[in-house]
Amino acid sequence: MVVTSEQSSSTSAITKQKKQRQRNRPRNKRNRLEDSEAKPKQNDSAMQKSNSNPQQNTSTDKTREQIMAEREAKKQAKLAKKQKLNAPATTIITEVEQTTITKKLTTTTTTTTKEQNLLPLHSTNVADTKTASEASAISSTDVKPTAPAGEKTREQIKAEREAKKAAKHAAKSIKSNNVDAAADQLSDLQVATKTETASAASALTADHEKKKPALSKAERRAIQEAQRAAKAQGQTKKPPGGVQTAGANSVKKAPSVDATPVKEQRDDKHDKHESPAKSPSKSGTLKADRECKVKLFNHLVSADKDASLFINDPNVHPSMARLGVQYAQRTIVGSNARCIAFLHALRQVVQDFETPAKKEFGRSLDVAVKHHVDHLNKCRPLAVSVYNAYKQFKNQLTQLPTDTPETELKELLGHFIDTYIENQIGKAAQAISSSMQEKITDGDVLLTFACSSLIQFICEEAKRRKVTFRVIVVDSRPFCEGQEMLRRLHACGIPCTYVLINAISYVMPEATKVMLGAHALLANGYVMARTGTAQVALVANSHNVPVLVCCETHKFSERFQTDAIVYNELCDPNLLVMDGKCCLNNWQSKSRLTPLNLSYDITPPELVSAVVTEVAILPCTSVPVILRIKPDIGY
Amino acid sequence: MREQPLKEVTQLIHAIKIGLVEGSYSITNKTLDIFKYIIMSKSWDSADALMQIVRAQSRILQAALPQETVTSNIARRILKLTREEFELLQAKVQHFADDSQASLSLHKLVTQTSESCVSVDYSVPQQGLREALLDHLQEVETELETSSENISVQAEEHIHSSEIILTLGHSRSVENFLKRAIKKRQFLTIIVAECAPACRGHNLAATLAQEKNVEIIVIPDASIFAMMSRINKVIIGTHSVLANGGLRAACGANTVALAAKHYSVPVIVLAPMYKLSPLHLCEQDAFNMVGCAEDVIAYDSVPARDAKVYSPMFDYVAPELVTLFISNAGGHAPSYVYRLLSELYHPDDLEL
Repeated sequence: MVVTSEQSSSTSAITKQKKQRQRNRPRNKRNRLEDSEAKPKQNDSAMQKSNSNPQQNTSTDKTREQIMAEREAKKQAKLAKKQKLNAPATTIITEVEQTTITKKLTTTTTTTTKEQNLLPLHSTNVADTKTASEASAISSTDVKPTAPAGEKTREQIKAEREAKKAAKHAAKSIKSNNVDAAADQLSDLQVATKTETASAASALTADHEKKKPALSKAERRAIQEAQRAAKAQGQTKKPPGGVQTAGANSVKKAPSVDATPVKEQRDDKHDKHESPAKSPSKSGTLKADRECKVKLFNHLVSADKDASLFINDPNVHPSMARLGVQYAQRTIVGSNARCIAFLHALRQVVQDFETPAKKEFGRSLDVAVKHHVDHLNKCRPLAVSVYNAYKQFKNQLTQLPTDTPETELKELLGHFIDTYIENQIGKAAQAISSSMQEKITDGDVLLTFACSSLIQFICEEAKRRKVTFRVIVVDSRPFCEGQEMLRRLHACGIPCTYVLINAISYVMPEATKVMLGAHALLANGYVMARTGTAQVALVANSHNVPVLVCCETHKFSERFQTDAIVYNELCDPNLLVMDGKCCLNNWQSKSRLTPLNLSYDITPPELVSAVVTEVAILPCTSVPVILRIKPDIGY
Repeated sequence: MREQPLKEVTQLIHAIKIGLVEGSYSITNKTLDIFKYIIMSKSWDSADALMQIVRAQSRILQAALPQETVTSNIARRILKLTREEFELLQAKVQHFADDSQASLSLHKLVTQTSESCVSVDYSVPQQGLREALLDHLQEVETELETSSENISVQAEEHIHSSEIILTLGHSRSVENFLKRAIKKRQFLTIIVAECAPACRGHNLAATLAQEKNVEIIVIPDASIFAMMSRINKVIIGTHSVLANGGLRAACGANTVALAAKHYSVPVIVLAPMYKLSPLHLCEQDAFNMVGCAEDVIAYDSVPARDAKVYSPMFDYVAPELVTLFISNAGGHAPSYVYRLLSELYHPDDLEL
């Protein structure tokens, strides 16, 4: 396997400290560059990294993760594009459309962060695309240092430099349209470097395999020692102790932020029990006693934002670990986007899965996938769409034929995942859109809340049909997802009005229809959606405006729920605090004050005129009917 | 003839416009001071002349500050006072010739004709009117000063222990009311909706959090409906109470009231008497104001270039959504507001 050999190669690199320091230098430099590109604020923290105060390292940890997540998001977007290109010549026209739809659904959500980061820096379009290409170049070259260990062999560095040169070259020459081609070129290069390093590493593997546990232990000790020293001596640069210095020095630069996950992976099994327990104990305790203080919500556990907890799990596939971070940091939000991202990651897991000796493929994969899903659940409670997709996948696993070879089974599962995305999300969106088109007529004023990829799709379709209508986007603090919706609709040239949710009564008289997205539809007909949806439906009802909830059937849940408190998700309460001079600043110090940031609310069925699904336009209360016939849909 | 504003009036208008004077209470107070000054001045010699001046100045105030109804309300109070005092003095002068003014027996009430009221001639100069008015004005001032206190005293009658109360934004009456309730009752939970984009709810939460024995939860406006199922009472302030018992309240109040109605939660509105205005508006377009939209979405963001963005200040709440008004004179049902209005203001003064 490629991964293991690379890991061992990195251990070998630890022993050669001098060289390694040299090698790390260009990397640091590049990091600095990226950091300044992403957020000017982080600039100084990146600079100090060379001093490598371990505490600072942990502080940069998260921002690093963010960058990684963004890169990943970009990569995924590209992947989706490539898929479209690689897709075999389709016999039916609709299938092409399917892929474009799914692609759009993924890309639109993932590009958000990219846009956010780039927009302040580059306003014009040309500059934007240029930076995009540059960023993609960096991301593709950087997959090397981030994914495998931070320590590199000589070959790797050489290859990387080449890649970097090529990337720069490509970025310069290609300004607008050829981004994809450049990315392809770069990915080719990347593959080449991978194989090179693999061969080089495998040679070194044998020598250093035995030293591994001891080394890593020493490292850990060194880290602790360094931390203690840093605490004791403040800003002094040299930690005391002759033997320790060597270790500490190597630690300083080598296992800097992104190296940690893989380093942990390389450690032996007894190691993994210690490592996750160690790191959260420091930062975690401070957070935990403050969160969930609202008595009503004591039963809800808010997702642990401590990244080290999820990253250091050796049994989690990198793609899933990445997805977990993306979930936790809300880089990927929205039911559909989360589902698609999950399925893509799942496909990766299936492809890389190796059946343990004397085990059945289906069962052992089931166990592995369950572990991954648990991991994702820890990062952020699973979306209903993700859970449903997982259930379907599990169902598929049990039906696998036993006598076929593994590769074929993997292909089968991959095909299943593809069709799930295509049917349940892509085609469903199209079906819903086509039935909604009859409802949107000239002069309509549609009111929508927050951001829904489905509503956006419907509006775009209506715009394509040259219907003259306008959209009122209602938004709410703290997430302000409606701004994203506004941006997307604005990009299609749909005239928009934007208000906060308080002002809903002000704009409701203008609206002719209310279209809402949903997180899930519960079996008792209640609609679970982003908090605020129920209020919009309520006010619409009082103004006698019809409320249409658009929801694909893959989001239907078998749960029953009558209020938003029994089951909900708590988001970061700090988001409620406005920047600047806000009275909520350091609310943590006031024991009696708690901001509460709920994720979802429940709209009772009497407030909803109809639910638009790909099957039909139904009253809310027909959800159980759909659930009963559900297995037959879309296959 | 076009009326000229007094120097004091111009100053007050300016101060309110630039935000030096904020809140209904201080605006009312300042307006009262102006009218007191007018009464004290020698520029009038008859009740009629005084009423002319008061009308003119309050018209100017109203035109300059259409959203501040309290200025007109206080002017109406003064007009009514003038009428009353004048009639009283007139009656005294006539040596109680007509004692129907003094004692209103049931028989008199039924048989009374409206002629006796119409026949009053206000243009006659009246001795001692100025003193009587100033005397009475003192009463009004004290009433104004104690109104907040009088409202908060009633907290115990409406709130029991370990209750969950929701409020919206930041109102001074509500703040005092809740503080009193916190002192008197234990284990209260107060949920404050922040009222974006100004987020004045944060201020209220921070102030209330200084008290003991209370749990304050700040929620974004979007979670009002989600939390409403657990709430015992909604207590809100209002900008003014309209003649039909409806409210012109902070933006978002309508949602709160509707959600409360949905869950059958009582809505208690704290409104001191000076907020009662004889206006018949039952649609928000009639009185609403839009504020600065910068807080809603940054002007320099890309979609903001073409999008219409609104940041309205007020919401109309229908009277059927309100359960109870608490004023400094006690509790009132929304359907009783018309009666309070007829007691407070003279029917001839409804149009200034």
